[in-house]
Amino acid sequence: MSELPLLIDRVEPKRLALTLGAVFLGGAMLMAGSTVAWSAPNWTPQSSERLVKLPPSYLQKSIDHDFANSELGTAIQKTEEDISLKGNTLGDLQKAIETSDGEVRGDLRHQFLAEKRAYLNMMSDRNELRRKHLMTKRRLFDDMLERLSREEGEMTPEKEELIELQKAAAERFESSVAKVDQRLFETPDLEESKYSQQYSKNRTAIEQLIARIDNHRMNQTPMSDNGVPLTRVEHVRRMVADVQTELAVLEQEETILGYMAKLVALDAMTLAEEGMDEEMIDSDVAQSSLTPADNVSFFLNN
Amino acid sequence: MKTQIFALGAATLIAMSGIAQAGTLENLERERAMTIKTFLDSSLTIDERQAKLDSQRRRLVDLERIVMRDKSLRGQNTKNVRIAFKNYDVTFLGHASAEKGHTMVDHWLTQFGVNTDSVMSSRVGRR
Repeated sequence: MSELPLLIDRVEPKRLALTLGAVFLGGAMLMAGSTVAWSAPNWTPQSSERLVKLPPSYLQKSIDHDFANSELGTAIQKTEEDISLKGNTLGDLQKAIETSDGEVRGDLRHQFLAEKRAYLNMMSDRNELRRKHLMTKRRLFDDMLERLSREEGEMTPEKEELIELQKAAAERFESSVAKVDQRLFETPDLEESKYSQQYSKNRTAIEQLIARIDNHRMNQTPMSDNGVPLTRVEHVRRMVADVQTELAVLEQEETILGYMAKLVALDAMTLAEEGMDEEMIDSDVAQSSLTPADNVSFFLNN
Repeated sequence: MKTQIFALGAATLIAMSGIAQAGTLENLERERAMTIKTFLDSSLTIDERQAKLDSQRRRLVDLERIVMRDKSLRGQNTKNVRIAFKNYDVTFLGHASAEKGHTMVDHWLTQFGVNTDSVMSSRVGRR
Protein backbone atom coordinates (compact mmCIF):
# COMPACT_ATOMS: atom_id res chain seq x y z
CA MET A 1 0.00 0.00 0.00
CA SER A 2 1.34 3.43 -0.89
CA GLU A 3 1.99 6.10 1.72
CA LEU A 4 -0.54 8.60 0.38
CA PRO A 5 -3.68 6.86 1.62
CA LEU A 6 -1.99 6.55 5.00
CA LEU A 7 -1.35 10.27 5.04
CA ILE A 8 -4.93 10.99 4.08
CA ASP A 9 -6.11 8.67 6.79
CA ARG A 10 -4.04 10.50 9.35
CA VAL A 11 -5.05 14.06 8.39
CA GLU A 12 -8.43 15.46 9.38
CA PRO A 13 -10.74 15.70 6.30
CA LYS A 14 -11.46 19.40 6.96
CA ARG A 15 -7.78 20.25 7.11
CA LEU A 16 -7.03 18.21 4.02
CA ALA A 17 -9.80 20.00 2.09
CA LEU A 18 -8.36 23.36 3.19
CA THR A 19 -4.82 22.38 2.11
CA LEU A 20 -5.97 21.09 -1.26
CA GLY A 21 -8.08 24.21 -1.75
CA ALA A 22 -5.08 26.43 -1.01
CA VAL A 23 -2.88 24.46 -3.42
CA PHE A 24 -5.54 24.72 -6.14
CA LEU A 25 -6.04 28.45 -5.56
CA GLY A 26 -2.27 29.07 -5.54
CA GLY A 27 -1.86 27.16 -8.80
CA ALA A 28 -4.74 29.03 -10.40
CA MET A 29 -3.29 32.39 -9.32
CA LEU A 30 0.15 31.43 -10.59
CA MET A 31 -1.27 30.43 -13.97
CA ALA A 32 -3.38 33.58 -14.19
CA GLY A 33 -0.35 35.70 -13.33
CA SER A 34 1.81 34.04 -15.91
CA THR A 35 -0.94 34.41 -18.53
CA VAL A 36 -1.28 38.14 -17.79
CA ALA A 37 2.49 38.62 -17.85
CA TRP A 38 2.74 36.78 -21.15
CA SER A 39 -0.20 38.47 -22.81
CA ALA A 40 0.47 42.05 -21.72
CA PRO A 41 4.12 43.04 -21.36
CA ASN A 42 4.29 46.41 -19.67
CA TRP A 43 6.42 49.49 -19.34
CA THR A 44 5.46 51.85 -16.53
CA PRO A 45 7.81 54.85 -16.41
CA GLN A 46 7.04 57.52 -13.80
CA SER A 47 7.36 61.24 -14.35
CA SER A 48 9.37 61.87 -11.20
CA GLU A 49 11.01 65.07 -9.99
CA ARG A 50 14.38 63.48 -10.80
CA LEU A 51 13.38 62.74 -14.39
CA VAL A 52 12.14 66.30 -14.96
CA LYS A 53 15.42 67.69 -13.63
CA LEU A 54 17.66 65.47 -15.78
CA PRO A 55 19.90 67.25 -18.31
CA PRO A 56 18.04 67.34 -21.64
CA SER A 57 20.75 65.41 -23.47
CA TYR A 58 20.56 62.62 -20.90
CA LEU A 59 16.76 62.54 -20.63
CA GLN A 60 16.07 60.70 -23.90
CA LYS A 61 18.83 58.17 -23.21
CA SER A 62 17.56 57.55 -19.70
CA ILE A 63 14.00 56.91 -20.98
CA ASP A 64 15.27 54.64 -23.77
CA HIS A 65 17.43 52.69 -21.33
CA ASP A 66 14.52 52.25 -18.92
CA PHE A 67 12.32 51.04 -21.80
CA ALA A 68 14.95 48.61 -23.11
CA ASN A 69 15.07 46.94 -19.69
CA SER A 70 11.29 46.71 -19.36
CA GLU A 71 9.02 43.74 -20.20
CA LEU A 72 7.62 45.66 -23.16
CA GLY A 73 11.08 46.51 -24.51
CA THR A 74 12.18 42.89 -24.24
CA ALA A 75 8.98 41.70 -25.93
CA ILE A 76 9.44 44.10 -28.86
CA GLN A 77 13.06 43.06 -29.28
CA LYS A 78 12.09 39.37 -29.27
CA THR A 79 9.29 39.95 -31.80
CA GLU A 80 11.68 41.83 -34.07
CA GLU A 81 14.16 38.95 -33.95
CA ASP A 82 11.34 36.52 -34.83
CA ILE A 83 10.21 38.77 -37.70
CA SER A 84 13.75 38.90 -39.03
CA LEU A 85 13.97 35.07 -38.98
CA LYS A 86 10.55 34.82 -40.62
CA GLY A 87 11.75 37.23 -43.34
CA ASN A 88 14.67 34.89 -44.06
CA THR A 89 12.28 31.92 -44.29
CA LEU A 90 10.09 33.85 -46.76
CA GLY A 91 13.13 34.72 -48.87
CA ASP A 92 14.24 31.10 -48.98
CA LEU A 93 10.76 29.90 -49.91
CA GLN A 94 10.44 32.50 -52.66
CA LYS A 95 13.72 31.35 -54.20
CA ALA A 96 12.65 27.69 -53.92
CA ILE A 97 9.34 28.45 -55.70
CA GLU A 98 11.19 30.10 -58.59
CA THR A 99 13.29 26.97 -59.18
CA SER A 100 10.57 24.35 -58.66
CA ASP A 101 7.69 23.09 -60.77
CA GLY A 102 4.74 20.74 -60.71
CA GLU A 103 3.26 19.50 -57.46
CA VAL A 104 6.26 20.61 -55.39
CA ARG A 105 5.78 24.16 -56.64
CA GLY A 106 2.11 24.04 -55.60
CA ASP A 107 3.04 22.78 -52.12
CA LEU A 108 5.71 25.44 -51.78
CA ARG A 109 3.26 28.16 -52.83
CA HIS A 110 0.84 26.95 -50.13
CA GLN A 111 3.63 27.00 -47.56
CA PHE A 112 4.74 30.45 -48.74
CA LEU A 113 1.21 31.72 -48.26
CA ALA A 114 0.98 30.27 -44.75
CA GLU A 115 4.36 31.80 -43.84
CA LYS A 116 3.28 35.17 -45.22
CA ARG A 117 0.18 35.03 -43.04
CA ALA A 118 2.33 34.19 -40.00
CA TYR A 119 4.69 37.06 -40.91
CA LEU A 120 1.79 39.49 -41.09
CA ASN A 121 0.48 38.31 -37.72
CA MET A 122 3.90 38.86 -36.19
CA MET A 123 4.18 42.32 -37.74
CA SER A 124 0.74 43.18 -36.44
CA ASP A 125 1.69 42.01 -32.92
CA ARG A 126 4.92 44.00 -33.09
CA ASN A 127 3.00 47.11 -34.16
CA GLU A 128 0.59 46.70 -31.25
CA LEU A 129 3.55 46.60 -28.87
CA ARG A 130 5.14 49.60 -30.59
CA ARG A 131 1.88 51.51 -30.32
CA LYS A 132 1.77 50.68 -26.61
CA HIS A 133 5.36 51.91 -26.25
CA LEU A 134 4.66 55.17 -28.07
CA MET A 135 1.42 55.83 -26.20
CA THR A 136 3.17 55.23 -22.86
CA LYS A 137 5.99 57.54 -23.92
CA ARG A 138 3.51 60.23 -24.91
CA ARG A 139 1.70 59.88 -21.58
CA LEU A 140 5.04 60.20 -19.79
CA PHE A 141 5.93 63.38 -21.70
CA ASP A 142 2.45 64.79 -21.07
CA ASP A 143 2.94 64.19 -17.32
CA MET A 144 6.35 65.84 -17.50
CA LEU A 145 4.91 68.86 -19.30
CA GLU A 146 2.16 69.12 -16.70
CA ARG A 147 4.74 68.98 -13.92
CA LEU A 148 6.89 71.61 -15.61
CA SER A 149 3.94 73.93 -16.25
CA ARG A 150 2.84 73.47 -12.63
CA GLU A 151 6.26 74.70 -11.55
CA GLU A 152 5.93 77.71 -13.85
CA GLY A 153 2.36 78.24 -12.68
CA GLU A 154 3.58 78.80 -9.14
CA MET A 155 4.78 82.22 -10.28
CA THR A 156 2.32 84.79 -8.95
CA PRO A 157 2.52 88.52 -9.76
CA GLU A 158 3.69 89.09 -6.18
CA LYS A 159 6.48 86.54 -6.56
CA GLU A 160 7.46 87.99 -9.92
CA GLU A 161 7.72 91.41 -8.31
CA LEU A 162 9.87 89.98 -5.51
CA ILE A 163 12.22 88.31 -7.99
CA GLU A 164 12.55 91.58 -9.88
CA LEU A 165 13.34 93.37 -6.61
CA GLN A 166 15.93 90.74 -5.72
CA LYS A 167 17.50 91.03 -9.16
CA ALA A 168 17.72 94.82 -8.86
CA ALA A 169 19.12 94.49 -5.32
CA ALA A 170 21.77 92.01 -6.50
CA GLU A 171 22.85 94.37 -9.30
CA ARG A 172 23.07 97.34 -6.94
CA PHE A 173 24.89 95.21 -4.39
CA GLU A 174 27.48 93.91 -6.89
CA SER A 175 28.17 97.42 -8.18
CA SER A 176 28.83 98.70 -4.65
CA VAL A 177 30.97 95.83 -3.29
CA ALA A 178 34.31 97.40 -4.30
CA LYS A 179 33.32 100.78 -2.86
CA VAL A 180 32.20 99.19 0.40
CA ASP A 181 35.49 97.28 0.71
CA GLN A 182 37.41 100.47 0.11
CA ARG A 183 35.44 102.25 2.85
CA LEU A 184 35.94 99.38 5.26
CA PHE A 185 39.72 99.40 4.80
CA GLU A 186 39.82 103.08 5.60
CA THR A 187 39.57 101.98 9.24
CA PRO A 188 43.19 101.04 10.00
CA ASP A 189 42.56 98.94 13.12
CA LEU A 190 40.28 96.47 11.41
CA GLU A 191 41.59 93.70 9.20
CA GLU A 192 39.63 91.74 6.64
CA SER A 193 36.95 89.59 8.23
CA LYS A 194 37.18 85.81 8.36
CA TYR A 195 34.13 85.52 6.11
CA SER A 196 35.65 87.84 3.48
CA GLN A 197 38.93 85.93 3.50
CA GLN A 198 37.25 82.54 3.21
CA TYR A 199 34.76 83.77 0.64
CA SER A 200 37.37 85.16 -1.75
CA LYS A 201 39.38 81.95 -1.40
CA ASN A 202 36.36 79.75 -2.10
CA ARG A 203 35.05 82.00 -4.85
CA THR A 204 37.99 81.19 -7.12
CA ALA A 205 37.34 77.48 -6.67
CA ILE A 206 33.60 77.98 -7.22
CA GLU A 207 34.18 79.96 -10.41
CA GLN A 208 36.47 77.27 -11.80
CA LEU A 209 33.89 74.58 -11.02
CA ILE A 210 31.06 76.62 -12.54
CA ALA A 211 33.07 77.15 -15.72
CA ARG A 212 33.68 73.38 -15.91
CA ILE A 213 29.96 72.66 -15.33
CA ASP A 214 28.93 75.22 -17.98
CA ASN A 215 31.16 73.55 -20.54
CA HIS A 216 30.25 70.01 -19.52
CA ARG A 217 28.87 67.89 -22.36
CA MET A 218 25.95 66.67 -20.24
CA ASN A 219 24.96 70.20 -19.30
CA GLN A 220 24.68 71.56 -22.81
CA THR A 221 21.44 73.35 -23.61
CA PRO A 222 19.52 71.52 -26.34
CA MET A 223 19.40 73.41 -29.62
CA SER A 224 16.76 73.59 -32.30
CA ASP A 225 17.63 72.73 -35.92
CA ASN A 226 18.51 76.37 -36.63
CA GLY A 227 20.72 76.69 -33.55
CA VAL A 228 18.27 78.43 -31.21
CA PRO A 229 18.63 77.23 -27.57
CA LEU A 230 15.56 75.35 -26.30
CA THR A 231 14.06 75.58 -22.83
CA ARG A 232 13.30 72.42 -20.88
CA VAL A 233 9.58 72.69 -21.74
CA GLU A 234 10.33 73.25 -25.42
CA HIS A 235 12.66 70.25 -25.42
CA VAL A 236 9.98 67.97 -23.93
CA ARG A 237 7.40 69.37 -26.37
CA ARG A 238 9.77 68.51 -29.20
CA MET A 239 10.03 64.95 -27.91
CA VAL A 240 6.20 64.76 -27.81
CA ALA A 241 6.14 65.87 -31.47
CA ASP A 242 8.67 63.14 -32.32
CA VAL A 243 6.45 60.53 -30.64
CA GLN A 244 3.47 61.87 -32.58
CA THR A 245 5.45 61.51 -35.81
CA GLU A 246 6.33 57.92 -34.96
CA LEU A 247 2.66 57.18 -34.26
CA ALA A 248 1.68 58.61 -37.65
CA VAL A 249 4.32 56.45 -39.36
CA LEU A 250 2.99 53.45 -37.45
CA GLU A 251 -0.51 54.19 -38.78
CA GLN A 252 0.90 54.17 -42.32
CA GLU A 253 2.71 50.90 -41.66
CA GLU A 254 -0.56 49.39 -40.51
CA THR A 255 -2.20 50.47 -43.76
CA ILE A 256 0.63 48.72 -45.63
CA LEU A 257 0.07 45.59 -43.53
CA GLY A 258 -3.65 45.78 -44.32
CA TYR A 259 -2.91 45.78 -48.05
CA MET A 260 -0.44 42.92 -47.60
CA ALA A 261 -3.12 40.92 -45.76
CA LYS A 262 -5.57 41.61 -48.60
CA LEU A 263 -3.01 40.39 -51.13
CA VAL A 264 -2.43 37.22 -49.09
CA ALA A 265 -6.21 36.62 -49.06
CA LEU A 266 -6.42 37.17 -52.86
CA ASP A 267 -3.43 34.85 -53.42
CA ALA A 268 -5.14 32.24 -51.27
CA MET A 269 -8.29 32.57 -53.39
CA THR A 270 -6.21 32.20 -56.57
CA LEU A 271 -4.57 29.06 -55.20
CA ALA A 272 -7.94 27.67 -54.16
CA GLU A 273 -9.36 28.42 -57.59
CA GLU A 274 -6.41 26.77 -59.34
CA GLY A 275 -6.87 23.70 -57.13
CA MET A 276 -10.55 23.55 -58.00
CA ASP A 277 -9.82 23.93 -61.72
CA GLU A 278 -7.41 20.99 -61.59
CA GLU A 279 -10.02 18.90 -59.80
CA MET A 280 -12.66 19.83 -62.36
CA ILE A 281 -10.44 18.81 -65.28
CA ASP A 282 -9.82 15.40 -63.71
CA SER A 283 -13.50 14.79 -62.83
CA ASP A 284 -16.08 12.92 -64.98
CA VAL A 285 -18.79 15.51 -64.44
CA ALA A 286 -20.30 16.77 -67.76
CA GLN A 287 -19.37 20.30 -68.74
CA SER A 288 -22.29 22.58 -68.16
CA SER A 289 -21.25 24.67 -71.13
CA LEU A 290 -23.15 22.29 -73.48
CA THR A 291 -26.31 23.91 -74.76
CA PRO A 292 -29.38 22.28 -76.55
CA ALA A 293 -28.37 24.03 -79.78
CA ASP A 294 -25.07 22.07 -79.85
CA ASN A 295 -26.99 18.79 -80.13
CA VAL A 296 -29.83 19.89 -82.37
CA SER A 297 -28.53 17.61 -85.20
CA PHE A 298 -29.64 14.57 -83.15
CA PHE A 299 -33.21 15.71 -83.66
CA LEU A 300 -33.12 16.78 -87.28
CA ASN A 301 -32.30 13.39 -88.92
CA ASN A 302 -33.96 10.00 -88.31
CA MET B 1 12.01 56.27 35.09
CA LYS B 2 12.86 59.88 35.90
CA THR B 3 16.14 59.54 34.02
CA GLN B 4 14.29 58.26 30.97
CA ILE B 5 11.83 61.17 31.03
CA PHE B 6 14.73 63.59 31.37
CA ALA B 7 16.56 62.00 28.41
CA LEU B 8 13.37 62.18 26.32
CA GLY B 9 12.89 65.84 27.23
CA ALA B 10 16.49 66.65 26.38
CA ALA B 11 16.20 64.89 23.02
CA THR B 12 13.00 66.83 22.23
CA LEU B 13 14.69 70.10 23.16
CA ILE B 14 17.67 69.31 20.92
CA ALA B 15 15.33 68.42 18.06
CA MET B 16 13.32 71.61 18.55
CA SER B 17 16.43 73.76 18.67
CA GLY B 18 17.29 72.40 15.22
CA ILE B 19 13.89 73.42 13.89
CA ALA B 20 14.12 76.90 15.39
CA GLN B 21 17.43 77.68 13.64
CA ALA B 22 17.41 81.26 12.36
CA GLY B 23 17.88 82.04 8.69
CA THR B 24 20.44 84.38 7.17
CA LEU B 25 17.92 87.22 6.97
CA GLU B 26 16.94 86.86 10.62
CA ASN B 27 20.62 86.98 11.66
CA LEU B 28 21.10 90.14 9.62
CA GLU B 29 18.02 91.73 11.19
CA ARG B 30 19.32 90.89 14.65
CA GLU B 31 22.72 92.44 13.95
CA ARG B 32 21.05 95.52 12.42
CA ALA B 33 18.87 95.90 15.53
CA MET B 34 22.06 95.81 17.66
CA THR B 35 23.63 98.48 15.40
CA ILE B 36 20.58 100.74 15.71
CA LYS B 37 20.67 100.22 19.47
CA THR B 38 24.26 101.47 19.37
CA PHE B 39 23.14 104.57 17.38
CA LEU B 40 20.63 105.40 20.08
CA ASP B 41 22.69 104.39 23.16
CA SER B 42 23.12 107.63 25.11
CA SER B 43 25.43 106.01 27.65
CA LEU B 44 28.27 105.76 25.11
CA THR B 45 30.79 108.50 24.41
CA ILE B 46 31.38 109.58 20.79
CA ASP B 47 34.63 107.57 20.57
CA GLU B 48 33.14 104.51 22.18
CA ARG B 49 30.16 104.63 19.81
CA GLN B 50 32.44 105.04 16.79
CA ALA B 51 34.67 102.11 17.79
CA LYS B 52 31.67 99.91 18.42
CA LEU B 53 30.01 100.93 15.12
CA ASP B 54 33.20 100.22 13.15
CA SER B 55 33.26 96.69 14.46
CA GLN B 56 29.50 96.26 13.96
CA ARG B 57 29.69 97.60 10.41
CA ARG B 58 32.16 94.86 9.52
CA ARG B 59 29.84 92.17 10.86
CA LEU B 60 26.84 93.82 9.26
CA VAL B 61 28.55 93.96 5.85
CA ASP B 62 29.44 90.27 6.12
CA LEU B 63 25.89 89.33 7.06
CA GLU B 64 24.50 91.47 4.22
CA ARG B 65 26.73 89.63 1.77
CA ILE B 66 25.65 86.30 3.19
CA VAL B 67 21.99 87.28 2.71
CA MET B 68 22.58 88.52 -0.80
CA ARG B 69 24.33 85.27 -1.74
CA ASP B 70 21.73 83.07 -0.04
CA LYS B 71 20.06 81.21 -2.93
CA SER B 72 17.28 79.91 -0.68
CA LEU B 73 15.88 83.45 -0.47
CA ARG B 74 15.40 83.75 -4.25
CA GLY B 75 11.68 83.99 -4.85
CA GLN B 76 10.89 83.06 -1.24
CA ASN B 77 7.60 84.86 -1.14
CA THR B 78 7.29 85.55 2.60
CA LYS B 79 6.42 88.84 4.28
CA ASN B 80 9.89 89.25 5.80
CA VAL B 81 11.72 88.64 2.52
CA ARG B 82 9.36 90.93 0.58
CA ILE B 83 9.81 93.79 3.08
CA ALA B 84 13.59 93.25 3.23
CA PHE B 85 14.08 93.56 -0.54
CA LYS B 86 11.55 96.38 -0.92
CA ASN B 87 13.69 98.51 1.44
CA TYR B 88 17.24 97.91 0.20
CA ASP B 89 18.63 101.03 1.89
CA VAL B 90 17.37 99.94 5.29
CA THR B 91 18.03 96.20 5.00
CA PHE B 92 21.51 96.50 3.51
CA LEU B 93 22.47 99.46 5.65
CA GLY B 94 26.23 98.77 5.59
CA HIS B 95 26.43 98.61 1.81
CA ALA B 96 23.90 101.32 1.04
CA SER B 97 25.58 103.84 3.38
CA ALA B 98 29.05 103.11 1.94
CA GLU B 99 27.67 103.35 -1.57
CA LYS B 100 26.25 106.82 -0.86
CA GLY B 101 29.28 107.92 1.13
CA HIS B 102 27.24 108.44 4.31
CA THR B 103 27.80 107.21 7.82
CA MET B 104 25.43 104.41 8.76
CA VAL B 105 23.50 106.56 11.23
CA ASP B 106 23.06 109.39 8.71
CA HIS B 107 21.89 106.97 6.05
CA TRP B 108 19.49 105.28 8.43
CA LEU B 109 17.96 108.58 9.56
CA THR B 110 17.68 109.79 5.96
CA GLN B 111 15.52 106.77 5.17
CA PHE B 112 12.99 108.04 7.71
CA GLY B 113 13.07 111.64 6.48
CA VAL B 114 15.49 112.94 9.11
CA ASN B 115 18.58 114.77 7.84
CA THR B 116 20.93 117.51 9.07
CA ASP B 117 18.88 120.27 7.43
CA SER B 118 15.62 119.12 8.90
CA VAL B 119 17.19 118.78 12.36
CA MET B 120 18.84 122.21 12.13
CA SER B 121 15.63 123.87 11.00
CA SER B 122 13.57 122.36 13.81
CA ARG B 123 12.53 124.37 16.85
CA VAL B 124 12.15 123.26 20.40
CA GLY B 125 8.60 123.90 21.53
CA ARG B 126 5.71 122.69 23.62
CA ARG B 127 3.25 120.42 21.88
